[in-house]
Amino acid sequence: MSAKVKTMDRKGASFQERLYLIEIFKGMATTFGHFLRNLLDNKKLYVRHYPEVQPEIPVRWRGRHRLTTHADGTVKCVACFMCQTNCPANCIIIEAGERLDGKTEKMPVKFNIDLLECIYCGYCVEACPLDAIRMDTGIFSVTDNNRESFVLSLPELLATPGAFSEEDYKKGGA
Amino acid sequence: MSLLDIFMFVARVAFAAFVPLCFIAVCVWMERRGAGYFQDRSGPNRAHIFGFRAAGLVQNLADAAKLFFKEDVISGHIEHKFYFVLAPVIVFFTALVSFAVVPFADTLVLGGKSYIMQGIPLDLGILWFLSFVGFGVYGIILAGWSSTNKFGVLGALRSAAQVISYEIPMGLAIVSLLVVYGTVNLNEIAQFQGKLLFGFIPMWGAVLQPLAMVIFIIAAFAETNRTPFDLAEGESELVAGFHVEYSAMKFAIFFMGEYVAMFASSAMIVTLFFGGYQIPFLSTATLISQAKPVAFLLMVIIPVVMYFFTGWVRRSNVSHYPRENDPRVFEATVYIKCFWGLVIILEVLLLAILFSTSGGATAHIFVVLLQVCTFLLKITMMIFVYIWVRWTLPRFRYDQLQKLGWQMLLPLALLNIFITSAFVVALS
Repeated sequence: MSAKVKTMDRKGASFQERLYLIEIFKGMATTFGHFLRNLLDNKKLYVRHYPEVQPEIPVRWRGRHRLTTHADGTVKCVACFMCQTNCPANCIIIEAGERLDGKTEKMPVKFNIDLLECIYCGYCVEACPLDAIRMDTGIFSVTDNNRESFVLSLPELLATPGAFSEEDYKKGGA
Repeated sequence: MSLLDIFMFVARVAFAAFVPLCFIAVCVWMERRGAGYFQDRSGPNRAHIFGFRAAGLVQNLADAAKLFFKEDVISGHIEHKFYFVLAPVIVFFTALVSFAVVPFADTLVLGGKSYIMQGIPLDLGILWFLSFVGFGVYGIILAGWSSTNKFGVLGALRSAAQVISYEIPMGLAIVSLLVVYGTVNLNEIAQFQGKLLFGFIPMWGAVLQPLAMVIFIIAAFAETNRTPFDLAEGESELVAGFHVEYSAMKFAIFFMGEYVAMFASSAMIVTLFFGGYQIPFLSTATLISQAKPVAFLLMVIIPVVMYFFTGWVRRSNVSHYPRENDPRVFEATVYIKCFWGLVIILEVLLLAILFSTSGGATAHIFVVLLQVCTFLLKITMMIFVYIWVRWTLPRFRYDQLQKLGWQMLLPLALLNIFITSAFVVALS
């Protein structure tokens, strides 16, 4: 059995191509087509008028993190440190404490995510055994004017709602 | 020296000095919005004053204000601060002065006196242009050298080598042109192109010397350091080339110098190959004698053009997303009213020409203004070609650039001289 050999045609060797100018004019005709189309009707530009028109965020898109809660509003996280261990950017810092409401034995006292370090890989979500951390907030623009405010704390993570319904989120294959 | 003499003197110098400066704004705007449209995006169109965006022209003001108030840094390692500051001045000044000899209208005859419509009424013409364009590279070399920066020096060296290589084909292309025109005076060259070949083709340089035109335009792209020959500032290899160390207004002067150079070389291409200020099929003498029919024709054409233009403005200047009481519609309405106001003023002026004595001073001035408009329109189109090429072609590799200059353009230019000379000798 002989290996399949596909010979690729080398472009640019023919006389017409070596003249340059003809090919250049062809290229210029192409770009001018784009220019004219957009000049005559600027609705056809491939742009989103961003701050006014927001992009559509799909369910599987990894946005800013949040911590999920039980139905009664208490935190799901059991401070197992799976996400912190798995984090390649070392941006999660958890401090565990005793849980007294009888649900589990441990709960996070501190749960900080440094968004300046975070690479939004989603490994924390994958690692979590209790579906306690998710990246389904749909927040893609995180801006501020000082470093400290980029470190998210437990109350902030709990307060952010998810952008999608539970059903959609499950269908998204998370 | 009469009052009219002084006025004409001031007007001509002011034209040669300020029109290139005004065109910087137009060029930058055309470049950025044009680049956007070539690449299917919209370009800068958000900056506004009280909601008036002027199609993105306000962005220029914002940029200028920013560059003007930025800190003007001269790094501590720079030893020759004088040359460092001098370099952008040379680049800008040579570019501006090279435009001074380009005639922007035919010789104006007023009260028995003739006025040559150039910034500096010299007979040197094309030689002046060549010398100053060649001198511009000194600014770039000086900038690169005095920056004491390897990228700067590399950019400057590349630029020097490039300008030397392309000066030769450019000069040779001009030689064959001079054989045809028989003069170096740009005004005479433009007058020559007002004639008709075989009675129906305008005798433009582009028709008489197509090969010289191609060579000259390619060399002019290289001389102005524009893509595809902008190796002096190849971002991927040299960061920014010769202006790495420059910031704030010193950088802006380089930037403006580039656009003025583009304007001046466009003016030169137009003057040498596209009939200069000549309107095709209408020579200056015809225009003066037929000033009234021409004015009447313009009175009809201008409102029709404006009708379609305002329609385009109304269609383009809207928000492309649902919005209550779209402020851009109001904006468009204001623009359209301004444009129609302008049309009314123009119509009144043209009406005044219809009622003036034929062949008088009014007709002469009218023809000059008409030719200035034609000239600026041609230059704008040529600048558009510059921008168009920039957003179409990738940059040449350095050896390809030198190969093209020495092995293709130089022999072609020499061949062109032989053919042209043979023709001219055979025909005369």
